[in-house]
Amino acid sequence: MKQKIGVYICHCGGNISDYVDVEKVRQSIEHDEGVFLAKTTMFACADSNQKEMVEDIENEKLDSVVVASCSPKLHLLTFRAVTERAGLNKYNYVHANIREQVSWAHSDNKEGATQKAIQIVKAAIAKVRNAESLEPIKVKATNAVAVIGAGVAGMRAAIELAEAGADVYLIEREFFVGGRVAQWDDLCITEETGKELITRLYDEVMKHKHVTLFTGAEVVENKGSVGNFTLKVKVTPRHFKLNCISNELQKAIDVCPVEVPDEFNFNITTRKAIYHNYPSEYPQLPAIDMKNCTRCGECEKVCNSIDFSQKTEYLNLKVGSILLATGFDPYEPKHGEFGYGEIENVVTFPQFKRIVHYCDDKLIYKGKEIKNIAYIYCVGSRQVDGENKYCSRYCCTANIHTAITVKKKYKNIHNFHFNRGIRTYGKAEIWYDESSRLGDIYLQSFEHDPPVIEKRGDQTFVRIKDILTTNKELEVVADLVVLVTGMVPRKDNSIANLLKIPKGRDNFFNEIHMKLRPVETVIDGVTISGASQGPKNIMESMNSALAAATKSFELVASGELALEPTVAKVDEQSCDWCGKCEEACPYSAFDKIEKDGKFVARVNAAVCKGCGMCLPVCPVNALDLIGLTDEDVESMIDALIPTV
Amino acid sequence: MSEQMKSLEFDVLVIGGGIAGGEAALNLANLNYKVLLVEKELSIGGKMIMLSKVFPTLDCAACITTPKISEIARHPNITIFTGAETRKITKIEEHHFEAIVLQKPRYVNVTDCTGCQLCEQACPVSVSDQYQYGLVGRKAVYIPFSIASPRAAAIDIENCTLCGACERVCPTQCIDFTQTEEEFLVTIKSIVVATGFDLFDPLKIPRYGYGTFKNVITSMQMERQLAPTRPYNTILRPGDGKMPDNIAYVLCTGSRDKSLGNPICSQICCMYSVKQAQLLMGALPMADITIYYLHIRAFGKGFNEFYAQAQDMGVEFVKGKVGKITEKENGNLILRYEDIEQGKVQEAEHDMVVLSVGVLPNQGISDAFENKKLELDPFNFINQADILASPAKTSIDGVFVAGTASGPMDIPDSILSGGAASAETTSYLRRALL
Ligand SMILES: Cc1cc2nc3c(=O)[nH]c(=O)nc-3n(C[C@H](O)[C@H](O)[C@H](O)COP(=O)(O)OP(=O)(O)OC[C@H]3O[C@@H](n4cnc5c(N)ncnc54)[C@H](O)[C@@H]3O)c2cc1C
Ligand SMILES: Cc1cc2nc3c(=O)[nH]c(=O)nc-3n(C[C@H](O)[C@H](O)[C@H](O)COP(=O)(O)OP(=O)(O)OC[C@H]3O[C@@H](n4cnc5c(N)ncnc54)[C@H](O)[C@@H]3O)c2cc1C
Ligand code: SF4
Ligand code: SF4
Ligand code: SF4
Ligand code: SF4
Repeated sequence: MKQKIGVYICHCGGNISDYVDVEKVRQSIEHDEGVFLAKTTMFACADSNQKEMVEDIENEKLDSVVVASCSPKLHLLTFRAVTERAGLNKYNYVHANIREQVSWAHSDNKEGATQKAIQIVKAAIAKVRNAESLEPIKVKATNAVAVIGAGVAGMRAAIELAEAGADVYLIEREFFVGGRVAQWDDLCITEETGKELITRLYDEVMKHKHVTLFTGAEVVENKGSVGNFTLKVKVTPRHFKLNCISNELQKAIDVCPVEVPDEFNFNITTRKAIYHNYPSEYPQLPAIDMKNCTRCGECEKVCNSIDFSQKTEYLNLKVGSILLATGFDPYEPKHGEFGYGEIENVVTFPQFKRIVHYCDDKLIYKGKEIKNIAYIYCVGSRQVDGENKYCSRYCCTANIHTAITVKKKYKNIHNFHFNRGIRTYGKAEIWYDESSRLGDIYLQSFEHDPPVIEKRGDQTFVRIKDILTTNKELEVVADLVVLVTGMVPRKDNSIANLLKIPKGRDNFFNEIHMKLRPVETVIDGVTISGASQGPKNIMESMNSALAAATKSFELVASGELALEPTVAKVDEQSCDWCGKCEEACPYSAFDKIEKDGKFVARVNAAVCKGCGMCLPVCPVNALDLIGLTDEDVESMIDALIPTV
Repeated sequence: MSEQMKSLEFDVLVIGGGIAGGEAALNLANLNYKVLLVEKELSIGGKMIMLSKVFPTLDCAACITTPKISEIARHPNITIFTGAETRKITKIEEHHFEAIVLQKPRYVNVTDCTGCQLCEQACPVSVSDQYQYGLVGRKAVYIPFSIASPRAAAIDIENCTLCGACERVCPTQCIDFTQTEEEFLVTIKSIVVATGFDLFDPLKIPRYGYGTFKNVITSMQMERQLAPTRPYNTILRPGDGKMPDNIAYVLCTGSRDKSLGNPICSQICCMYSVKQAQLLMGALPMADITIYYLHIRAFGKGFNEFYAQAQDMGVEFVKGKVGKITEKENGNLILRYEDIEQGKVQEAEHDMVVLSVGVLPNQGISDAFENKKLELDPFNFINQADILASPAKTSIDGVFVAGTASGPMDIPDSILSGGAASAETTSYLRRALL
């Protein structure tokens, strides 16, 4: 029981004292059991008052402190730090909120507000009377980070983490690195092509001895928690020996009889079962796609580097933090959506990027030279009926940039942009301006009235009620229709379930706080970056990758983490494992362990958030929260009920 | 350099204490680097601390900024100078910069000031309050704003009459007219430039009547009227103190306009206008709100949904360009605009007009660099030398850029950019050890 409690009641300028009689609050509690000193203060958080508190604690030998002021979200840490500076254990501090919960909520009733403030302060005093000194839970942190996904975001994060001094495991599911950007060729913002950017990043990655790159690799199991995750990684072999002779390789590719759609080119071309995406793909070693390989053995006959004896391996990696950079999928239009899959000259924007890549001086698709191009914007984004209500952010800009490139690269191109209001935000506006100057035609409709695509005879027509020309119905004959498809979360996003990362309304990974903490998640130790968190262009993906690298590095850098000790604890005597707590816990903090011949629950203190969800479900009352025990709560309730 | 100048040494100098500079400083401090944060205003927090609520979450800006600000302020590895200027930045060699930091006198001893505001009451001089964007007045001695950090008085010496009233009432005797400018020679290994943005000055578009018509205000002034620490406690027309019931927003004011020398889109004004419209519908349930726009740039996470929400709430969106604003005798305003959907020029009457002013580069900091050139992009923002791979890099190795100093962006993007700057600073500093 505390004997020398110091209580400070804050005016908060007038924020509190305009509606709460703070002096009356002070008088009502100054003789409460254990209260040694009770003061009012103009701004409790001001440096001058903090100084005074430190002096009081030291001179009067206070054993605990209550400050009644604003929300603990604002200043709990401030006052804990004050007590700590005065040499007191910071868990001997209790915060009472009489601003958000009192003065701001009851500005119409000063008397009632004052009474409520008194009860709230009394409850805080009741709690602090039982307060115990607690020590943070110290866990060792492994100075290593797993970066999942080797697209631009993942590679950039890996480089930064290695430079900062962490060991990095860069885990890529595909056999080749680079993610989507490798597919785009021409990029907006700079002259650098996708391939060049990937080459630059890959070279950097390989320069670092602290980065270990795994391709064809996937995380299949996750154990542990912040500071100490153990990831089980499945590595699929590419069935190639390390040193491959390139002329033999081409022979091998030539003889392979299996032909499948080439996903790298969004299925507009085919590839063999033995393949690489492009000749200088990284790592520069082809792979055999065993899902499609028939094991005919033809390739082995012409190429010595092939090795069918390689086996799938499983590795266990210990890391302190996990950085997710798994990217996005382009939206795949439904069959018949704007003629997709039905009309042969309707393609998606990603396919269009590949077509442009393969056409040198003439733009040709399916044997026909293309002159008139109709771009339909917002396909799969800003949906009226569908799930995807969001705007995909990158597409207006990237598409207009591509349209300009196309116009400059080939002769006699006419671009028609069927849009819903162009969103070339920020500096990208200059491309919108440039394309208009180059004579591109913009036609606009609203979400609920999209353009219509029709095939009549051997011609494809795009029709719109154009709001830019007072809703005139306009029609364009298009040689090629490009569906400007948005970004959607990866189809296979099982990694999110494995790590328990929540998803937002848009199904992309969700950050812990949209404004202030855009790369951290509710799972301590797991950060998110790049397009996996939501649509982004490359620069934005890089910023988020670097920000996530900083946060992940912060966790592992010191080698030790101090976690809040206010977690659940199990009374092993009364616990007789029923598993109800395990079901209730949103963070999977419970383990079933064997103790003295029976099974009991154990709380992993590094995972538990002290949320209290488990307490009410325990049938034998074996659970309690450290720092907020049943006894604490009961004493607070008693204090909250006014004595008549 | 003068003999008696005090020398200070840090790992990193962060110039600008807005949310981007603050985030960079915190990250670096958490990695145990010693950071000097220099802010030219009297408080850190930048524009964000002055906002009402933030799109698209509608969190109270003050409530989410102040904990961050106090975390920065109390961090043992961060030293903060407010009301200070950085000059003469010289790169001696890699990982070795020198700069002069000029601490301007505040005439108040910050550590002793309790923020009791007695001096404000005593001071006889009233002038326009720059932190309330001119909506109300303040005294010559004043606490910048209620949630300022540090929350201490300062004397605006240009307007002070030296009457001494404040000195007499101050209970802690912290007013000190003997303070003078102090110069520090600062040695650092690396620099983060986070000097933020400027707002477009609508006086440059005389046909909108800002400055002449009292009921034409800027979005930042509306932001202050909507903030929890707001000056009037409700929304008022500055002209006559009437509650407005028919408010118009003019988007792209000062942006996307080559004739004004600013061809780019400001990236945030569509969304903050949509936000203010929603807040106004809450504050003035009977009011009509009309937004005159060319395109609504609702591109970010949750933005398009937020825009749809405003439409559902009844905010009117008119696709059209406002050409001219005229004032009626009763203070109401006539907007002449090209209605794009109707294909003709129309007029509409509103009783208050908010100009959604754009984001302009905050120039000047590049002049502080002496022997190396801090290059600017074509729009005069700080140039990002390797924008795709290392967005925080500038033309000078060891100098990184964070936040809106490199171009328009919202708060989360500023935080990401601050994070990127701290990451690149970290690896730059690590290279010093090799
Ligand atoms: C058609 C088109 C054109 C574009 N043009 C431009 C442009 O011109 N300029 C621009 O700035 N931006 C452009 N973009 C945007 C750009 O593609 C993205 O910003 C960028 O790809 C995001 O990078 P990322 O690393 O986050 O994701 P990704 O590129 O998607 O990379 C993610 C990586 O993670 C891997 N992965 C996924 N899941 C797992 C898993 N479970 N385990 C291991 N690895 C996994 C993937 O295989 C991939 O390699 C364009 C986008 C599209 C669709
Ligand atoms: C009306 C309005 C409403 C907005 N609403 C929202 C919203 O709802 N949601 C959202 O996400 N964003 C919003 N924003 C955008 C948001 O304000 C910015 O994204 C954010 O403030 C940028 O932070 P920053 O640190 O880059 O710049 P700033 O906030 O401008 O901070 C820069 C700091 O550097 C200081 N400084 C400048 N030059 C120097 C120098 N030479 N030496 C020392 N210090 C210097 C400045 O005094 C300032 O403190 C809004 C903006 C406006 C104008
Ligand atoms: S960026 Fe443009 S094309 Fe993409 S969803 Fe948004 S508005 Fe549509
Ligand atoms: S307190 Fe919450 S997080 Fe901790 S074990 Fe119980 S349910 Fe899980
Ligand atoms: S001395 Fe200056 S600041 Fe102080 S009260 Fe007089 S006029 Fe105001
Ligand atoms: S964000 Fe909107 S209001 Fe601002 S300049 Fe861009 S289009 Fe105009």
